[in-house]
Amino acid sequence: MKLAKLAKASAVVAISAVFLTACGSKSSNSSADKQVLNWSINAELPTMDPSKATDTVSFNQLNNSMEGLYRLGKNSKILPGIAKKTEVSDDGLTYTFTLRENAKWSNGDKVTAKDFVYSWQRTVDPATGSQYAYLFDGIANANDIMEGKKQPSELGIKADGDYKLVVTLDKQIPYFKLLMGFPVFFPQNESAVKEYGSKYGTASKYMVYNGPFKLSGWTGSNLSWSLVKNSSYWDKKNVKLDTINFKVNKQDSTAYNLYQSGKIDATVLGAEQARNLKGQTGYTNREQASTFYLQLNQTKSEFQNLKIRQAISKAIDRSQFVKQVLAGASTPAKGFVSSGLATYNGTDFTTASYVKSAVNYDTKEAKKLFEEGLKEIGKDSIEFTILSDDTDKGKKSTEFLQSALTEAFGSDKIKVSASNVPFKTRLSRTTEGNFDVVLSGWGADFADPISFLDLMTSDNSQNAGKWKNEEYDKLIEASKTTDANDEAKRWNDLVEAEKILMNDQGIIPVYQASEAWMVKPSVKNIIFNSAGVNYNFKETYISGN
Amino acid sequence: MKKYLLKRVFYMALTLFLVATITFFLMKLMPGTPYSNQEKMSPEQIAIMNQQYGLDKPIWMQYLLYMGGMLHGDLGTSFQFSNQPVSYLISSRIGASAQLGIQAMIFGIFFGIIFGSIAAINRNTWVDTSVTVLSIIGKSVPNFVLAVLLQYYIALKLGWFPIADWDGFAYTILPTIALGVGPLAETSRFMRTGMVDVLNSDYIELAKAKGLSKFQIVYHHALRNSLIPLVTLIGPYTVALMTGSMVIENIFSIPGIGEQFVKSILTNDYPTIMGVTMLYSAGLVAVILLTDIIYGIIDPRIRLAGNGD
Repeated sequence: MKLAKLAKASAVVAISAVFLTACGSKSSNSSADKQVLNWSINAELPTMDPSKATDTVSFNQLNNSMEGLYRLGKNSKILPGIAKKTEVSDDGLTYTFTLRENAKWSNGDKVTAKDFVYSWQRTVDPATGSQYAYLFDGIANANDIMEGKKQPSELGIKADGDYKLVVTLDKQIPYFKLLMGFPVFFPQNESAVKEYGSKYGTASKYMVYNGPFKLSGWTGSNLSWSLVKNSSYWDKKNVKLDTINFKVNKQDSTAYNLYQSGKIDATVLGAEQARNLKGQTGYTNREQASTFYLQLNQTKSEFQNLKIRQAISKAIDRSQFVKQVLAGASTPAKGFVSSGLATYNGTDFTTASYVKSAVNYDTKEAKKLFEEGLKEIGKDSIEFTILSDDTDKGKKSTEFLQSALTEAFGSDKIKVSASNVPFKTRLSRTTEGNFDVVLSGWGADFADPISFLDLMTSDNSQNAGKWKNEEYDKLIEASKTTDANDEAKRWNDLVEAEKILMNDQGIIPVYQASEAWMVKPSVKNIIFNSAGVNYNFKETYISGN
Repeated sequence: MKKYLLKRVFYMALTLFLVATITFFLMKLMPGTPYSNQEKMSPEQIAIMNQQYGLDKPIWMQYLLYMGGMLHGDLGTSFQFSNQPVSYLISSRIGASAQLGIQAMIFGIFFGIIFGSIAAINRNTWVDTSVTVLSIIGKSVPNFVLAVLLQYYIALKLGWFPIADWDGFAYTILPTIALGVGPLAETSRFMRTGMVDVLNSDYIELAKAKGLSKFQIVYHHALRNSLIPLVTLIGPYTVALMTGSMVIENIFSIPGIGEQFVKSILTNDYPTIMGVTMLYSAGLVAVILLTDIIYGIIDPRIRLAGNGD
């Protein structure tokens, strides 16, 4: 029995040691007058190099620690950034920006027009390997430079002295100002890039900042870091937070436990948690500018038939889909362009272009259309496979669609199978056209309907289903050329284009993605935009409990 | 012994070479590109990127280049963490994983030996039964379930330990328990069986006859001999801890390497996949060698057999 006693004794010692350590750790580090926000995210920060960033975490850190010509406010409103004045030529092809003279880098250098020229040239240089360089399409010579036909120095951006920047375009870009709020267009300090070399942007110390905050404590692969107020920021008087602490918690339940314990002020929720917490204080639904839709491969005869396409769309009960597959944390899609993305004269794009018959649930009408469609193509039944991701969500999605379609049309007339593959495989098979029906997703880079509608022109590589409509192509073209300068006409072109896409059922929209969050009510003035960069914490503050 | 060791090291190197080769070609069979923004890039843009990163070269050439780099200690740079050398990604995150794994192993084996011994000494009593039942539960409850339960009840509700993060010893306790319970259960079952056998053997009878106390019998005679079969378990434990840590690291937000591995595969981050695979293989091969050496030390018959081979 002595051994047992020994074991007991050692266990007691071990456990008490643990408790002592736990008690000894620091109790609190927040003093009452400091403005500190503790934010949980679910992925690491991969890079701070504006030319190389591709993910939302990087974009959010860049947007808050750097600043471009403009800063995007609520509803993607264009607010002054480094540019204090902008002149646009009558043909819309030349932009002249006057920069503020009091903007500084965190290393003490002044932010000048040369920093923009250097940054943009660096991004379009194929040697840099930027995955977002395609956004430069339209800036003079950008495409030729990316393809290696011209030198980066030939890009349509010139510094005229330290504080004047002239950008020339090959063609009009109606959303050009919105793009200026996207990190890939931010300035970069040449001496820092050269000094840090291959380490540039790989840790908080290998980077210089010109935004409201400075990044600190990021080693390049760790799970926590902070944004601290940047004392050399030109508009620091409007920055209210002293520190934003970021913690990576990949498990939703972990993050929510931390939220409940008061260690963090905001966290994204998983589908189950969202279902349970809906309606509680702090529950926030953040709509993403991201639509999930079915592309039908129109090289196949059955999908060339409009009635069959419409029938499939009408057989899907989108509100049930959202409830069952996504636990209510998303909304049924009203069209291809996401809602809340863009408005004109107070009307949301999705309201203006809404074609109810393209997204409503009507099994009776669906059945009728389907049978007429079968007759038209001279077949008794059709058979196809739906391609989707192999994630839990992807599998649930295909299961739902399979049963919905089989139920609506009968298993003797339609046979639907599912193919659930890894994300990258799904992308490759989609691009290759190796699918019957694919559940695709698209997120807008900037808050303009064209960010979606561009995809469906006949020659766009994203138009994997090969849907073609001349009228549609013409309208998109007009919105970029003849009507580019006329806001009303351009809006109208895009609305009409979306209507054509819907009436012709070029795609079948399914849902618009949302993120459910818990955010403490004491956190005020968070600016969230559904497209491009999500968060702007510049004027966020903590008040009350 | 020296010749035996040399031979083993040669086979280790050969194994690693084969693992590297097979992984490389399997990995290149995966569809898609390593670009996280692949979704939005046109095929032409992807072609330009491939050219930049040398991914347009024939696969055998990429293979030779990679192997050449690896021999010089260059594991390449990650795609996911742009510009970050894979060697840095691994070295900055291996520490937490290793600490967690070693702690879990020590925790599991230490308490496993104690519980197993107690059960064996008190065999066929309620003590034995409860240890057995607990072992079965410990073995059958997946560690991530245990982790979530511990986190919710012990950390959130009782507040005894931090919920997540990795910032000192207190933070390691719950993950260690969650990860170590499996090995603990296994060890305790092995230990019980081993010790029951030993306790029934003649020399224990002799010791009893000599009038030694129960503690002396167990500690000096039974324990050591019951430990030998446990050495076999170290290999499988290492594998279990490596794979188990991927989930545990995720739940407790530990900056370890396990989860990174899964993500690198999902994102086609070729250099990271190779780097972490090689790390795991090397670790495993080394543990197997170590086990054999330990075996040789504690059981001379095996050492002799090795020499004669």
